Amino acid sequence: MPTATAVMVGMGDIHVAKGDAAYNCLGLGSCIGLVLFDPTTQVSGMIHVMLPETFPGRPVDKVGKYADVGVPELVRQMTAIGAVSSRLLAAYAGGAQVFKFGAGVESKLDVGARNTIAVTEQIKKLGCKVLATDTGGNCGRTVSVTIGDGNVRVRTVNNGDKLLCNLRG
Amino acid sequence: MTGDNTQYGLLEMSAVREMANIGLGHATTALSNLTGRSFNMEIPKVETVCIEKVPDMVGNPEDVCVGIMMPIEGDVTGHIAFVFPWDSAQSIWRSLLGTCPETVGDIDELAASAMLEIGNILNSSFMNALSNMTDLKIHATPPVVSVDICYAVTTSVVAEAELNEVVALAIETRIFDMEDVETRGYFLCIPTVDGLDLMLRRLGVAEAA
Repeated sequence: MPTATAVMVGMGDIHVAKGDAAYNCLGLGSCIGLVLFDPTTQVSGMIHVMLPETFPGRPVDKVGKYADVGVPELVRQMTAIGAVSSRLLAAYAGGAQVFKFGAGVESKLDVGARNTIAVTEQIKKLGCKVLATDTGGNCGRTVSVTIGDGNVRVRTVNNGDKLLCNLRG
Repeated sequence: MTGDNTQYGLLEMSAVREMANIGLGHATTALSNLTGRSFNMEIPKVETVCIEKVPDMVGNPEDVCVGIMMPIEGDVTGHIAFVFPWDSAQSIWRSLLGTCPETVGDIDELAASAMLEIGNILNSSFMNALSNMTDLKIHATPPVVSVDICYAVTTSVVAEAELNEVVALAIETRIFDMEDVETRGYFLCIPTVDGLDLMLRRLGVAEAA
């Protein structure tokens, strides 16, 4: 049974833990919540990505905000406490387009789609095994992860709470 | 941008507040004309905040809200957005349409276009006021509307703003309905650094070093 108190993973945050842990990523719109888990060492981590990549010439204020530098940093922090990157299991959700009403929303706004592509690319590069994803669409998502039982759940306004995958499955 | 607004001094911040006050005064008048209700015309509370704190200000992150966003174009660029809590949005719908969607799933084309229109009117009156004050070309582009959990809406606004430009700060204000205190709204103005500096120069406020 999950016992750990859930850590709130805010915009641009990276959290890692060894052993029992729980994470909440609240209200992901165009942002993406990514959880990684190494079943052998029980090291887990989560990141709340906001933008696809860092901007040339702009200082990086917070590594976890950007998929291109944030995802490798999450893996670095996890390997620092014992995880092995080739064993990592991944699940992620978000990258929606919550502004669904109005003229030409599809063409005007695409941060969510770009975030999804950027995170997918990083995951591929790192060679993690992707268990499940829930991206795109028009719904804001809240992702709850309980390492104790391995459940990754996604909650939306329209569809309620559903199990995305089990990290221990 | 992270950190406090150290690049702007007290003088600059009070000019920003004054601009927001005047712009929002015009916007609330427009809202009153549209809905036939009187909104608080007193100087609204204006807070200039670090962009990353925006999602935390508007309310309970998992409450449903209605967000109307539009990019600003012209001499000054950036993003503006109005965010209404669900119950306030319902009360606005009732005064405009005589009825309102009971749940998020009930929002039809009429309800959505009513909110788009609210956005058009609020934002264009705000932009016109700013434009007149600074003698700069500032126009609002067609709005987009979202109905979702508060945190998802506001983080998406912030991501959109940061994706395109270096943003200066977010100006948050609250609007209250005089007859019905439950109707309230939050206004976010997120200008770019260049845009804000230009406006400040036009107002005769020296640019921060």
